[in-house]
Amino acid sequence: MSTREEILARCRSSIRERYAMPSLDDINPITWDDPVKQFRQALENAGGKAVEVPSGSDLGEVIKGLFPQAVSFAGNPGEIPAVNIDPDTVEDVSRMESLDVGIVRGETGVAENACVWVPQTMKEKAMCFICEHLVILLPKSRIVNNMHEAYRRISFTGYGYGCFISGPSKTADIAQVLVMGAQAARSLTVLLLPE
Amino acid sequence: MKVALFIPCYVDALSPDVGTASWKLLRHLGVDVSYPENQTCCGQPMANGGFERKAIPLARKFEERFKGYDYVVTPSVSCPAFIKEHYPHLLGESHTCEAAEHTVDIVTFLHDILKVHEPLGRFPYRVSLHNSCHGVRVLGLSAPSEKNIQPYNKMADLLSLVEGIEVVEPERKDECCGFGGFFSMEERAVSKRMGTDKLRRHINTGAQYVTGPDASCLMHLKGIARGMGADIKFKHIVEILSAGL
Amino acid sequence: MSKQHKDKAREFLQNDSYATWHDQTFWGVRAKRDTMAGNLPEWETLREKASQIKRHTLSHLDRYLDEFSRNAERNGAVVHWASDAAEFNETVLGILKGHGVRKMVKSKSMLTEECEMNPFLEAHGIEVVETDLGERIIQLGRQKPSHIVMPAIHLNHDDVGELFEREGISHEKGNHDPVFLTQQARLSLRHEFLSAGAGMTGANFGVASTGDVVVCTNEGNADMSTSCPKLHIVAMGLEKLVPDYDCLAVFQRLLARSGTGQPTTTYTSHFRKARPGAAPMHIILVDNGRSTWLSDPEHWECLKCIRCGACMNTCPVYRRSGGYSYSYFIPGPIGVNLGMLRSPKEHAGNVAACTLCQSCQEVCPVKVNLAGQIYRWRQQLPAFGKANPTKRVLSDGMKMVFSHPLLYKTATGVLKPFHSRFKKLEK
Repeated sequence: MSTREEILARCRSSIRERYAMPSLDDINPITWDDPVKQFRQALENAGGKAVEVPSGSDLGEVIKGLFPQAVSFAGNPGEIPAVNIDPDTVEDVSRMESLDVGIVRGETGVAENACVWVPQTMKEKAMCFICEHLVILLPKSRIVNNMHEAYRRISFTGYGYGCFISGPSKTADIAQVLVMGAQAARSLTVLLLPE
Repeated sequence: MKVALFIPCYVDALSPDVGTASWKLLRHLGVDVSYPENQTCCGQPMANGGFERKAIPLARKFEERFKGYDYVVTPSVSCPAFIKEHYPHLLGESHTCEAAEHTVDIVTFLHDILKVHEPLGRFPYRVSLHNSCHGVRVLGLSAPSEKNIQPYNKMADLLSLVEGIEVVEPERKDECCGFGGFFSMEERAVSKRMGTDKLRRHINTGAQYVTGPDASCLMHLKGIARGMGADIKFKHIVEILSAGL
Repeated sequence: MSKQHKDKAREFLQNDSYATWHDQTFWGVRAKRDTMAGNLPEWETLREKASQIKRHTLSHLDRYLDEFSRNAERNGAVVHWASDAAEFNETVLGILKGHGVRKMVKSKSMLTEECEMNPFLEAHGIEVVETDLGERIIQLGRQKPSHIVMPAIHLNHDDVGELFEREGISHEKGNHDPVFLTQQARLSLRHEFLSAGAGMTGANFGVASTGDVVVCTNEGNADMSTSCPKLHIVAMGLEKLVPDYDCLAVFQRLLARSGTGQPTTTYTSHFRKARPGAAPMHIILVDNGRSTWLSDPEHWECLKCIRCGACMNTCPVYRRSGGYSYSYFIPGPIGVNLGMLRSPKEHAGNVAACTLCQSCQEVCPVKVNLAGQIYRWRQQLPAFGKANPTKRVLSDGMKMVFSHPLLYKTATGVLKPFHSRFKKLEK
């Protein structure tokens, strides 16, 4: 018998009583009158920043304006203007080691905890983590109240990876002092886009 | 309503005034209370220490002794918590466990069953309330700080009927004092540290007295206070409720 | 005989200022958790649902394991099964050898700690680099975690600074500022991520309906570990399964709120397959006792645990004795219980480290009755030959005295007990 079969057989013989799945329809999760406002607050609490982008703005200019010192910008070039590193064609992840700004589209934002669902849309997802500063583009209308709503909406691309990101990388592992920029991006800016 | 007063062994032997105060208070409130002879111990200390089977003869005797009463009222929380949680399985499933159903701590009895609202005694002091673990988390005398539920406190409600009293709670209002029966003997260092921390928080409220629903927590804190030379006194909640009656 | 919890706890408490800091730090985490719980009106409902979902999933584990493994394979992952720690370690080694890997970066995994994987791989010539900052610190210091979520909490910034100087990670002697030290670790780990041949992650959840492996971190180290190397291995205990996304939402909301007092971890990463151009993702499902524990009528619910650490943060005994006072590698209430499931003979000393205050089971996001189970373990000690002889003698004495009222009256008479005063009172 394979280990798989052995383990499944052991589970079957160990289970004494089978419990029913509870209904999850009566959780009544928290909602907000203004989820966008709550999202901004939660993002600030998580150490990130939300910037509203007026309609008609040049996204490339907005991003450059936010990072005047930055030299390298990466993102999907077809969608985001003014990037000079393409994570689809970069020959090796190490080429992005000193990347200043990574730019990516978010699919769904969550008001309760400032999570933004970022499905992988580029060959090297490392861009989202190895950059010093991460910028997520998120249409305001895509902000839902809570994780229950979010998990009913998220989708994957063929890359088979996605991540909820809430704020910059952080740690408190040294003497419980909160430090931003542990292993991944030191800052996170969510650009809230009009429709 | 026929009520029996159960005075657990440690109250009987070490805090007899708590027994006296309970009796007086119940009589004052017009309760038809009696004190059945030959009571000893519910069996909790050995069970918590890991010798539950040795509590079985005591559970049986308890059942016999307190048969026929509507309520068995006791000025303790860990004993009724033990009786309610463990007598049913100790005495076997075929047995209808009268004791578990009828035993009630005196705070719950006064607050929920008698629904006492009239003014009680007089106690013109600042008093820090000790929310004993089993009172809070097993018997529901106050809302556990861990839970997201509407705050309430049955002990504070009762104490508000006492004239002149000012009731306060320590920081970390329901953290354990570190008594824990055998725990205080076996894990002496941690027990003492917990007790010291707890006592400091009571003292920091500026209270002259610490009160609570269980004499064992108070006894532990009293021992710590004596060791520290701390100038704070201890009264079981029934002693305060009955003060001056 | 090795030292018991009580002896190590006594030593821990001798350093008064550290003991105070330890207690206050973890109470601070508990307080943040309370704030999070207080912000959600549905908190208690979530806990109840989480408990019921786990009961359901564990009691249908055969079905969900089958569903998960099929979906993971459909996604392109290779699923391995390991009955015990040895089989797990061998499987990892086999995969690494097959790909010619000499160095592996890894994110945090209590399971690899349980299986003592790092020393095994190192003995076979493979360098393992922990990438969670806390785990990295204790790895460099050759220590074990003292807490499951904050593994290096027993070290202060001077300890870490000196360690980093010794290991060549920090070159500015005497600069022990946590911000500076974190930066130095970041630089050092960047090099490791980019030069490793494989990345390993644990799993917080496995989603049966989709085959997703879900990993929650604040540092982003699981994502770095899987975005740079060309091979991703997942170490996952059988009990990590949840049926679907609706269930996952419940646990995702509870985990960080309970563990660190955050509304979410920074990253909640879903892995279905390997990165483009890399080898397939390998998922190793590890039993190591779990399928047997399922049959224990009194203790199987320990398998509901999602490793948030809230029970240790609230435990008044853990806060005043530290992680190293317990004999099992997981400390606190859940560790006392898991240690007993693992080996009662080795870990029986821990069951005394509990006042039965029950705070642990009130904070537990999946409602494991932790204190109730410690009470049960105490009853079982005599069967393991581990009963405390003093307590047994005392309990026998108590039984004797309390069973005979006359004896009891004689024994207590000198104290002027209530029962001897009662006659007077009645008048």
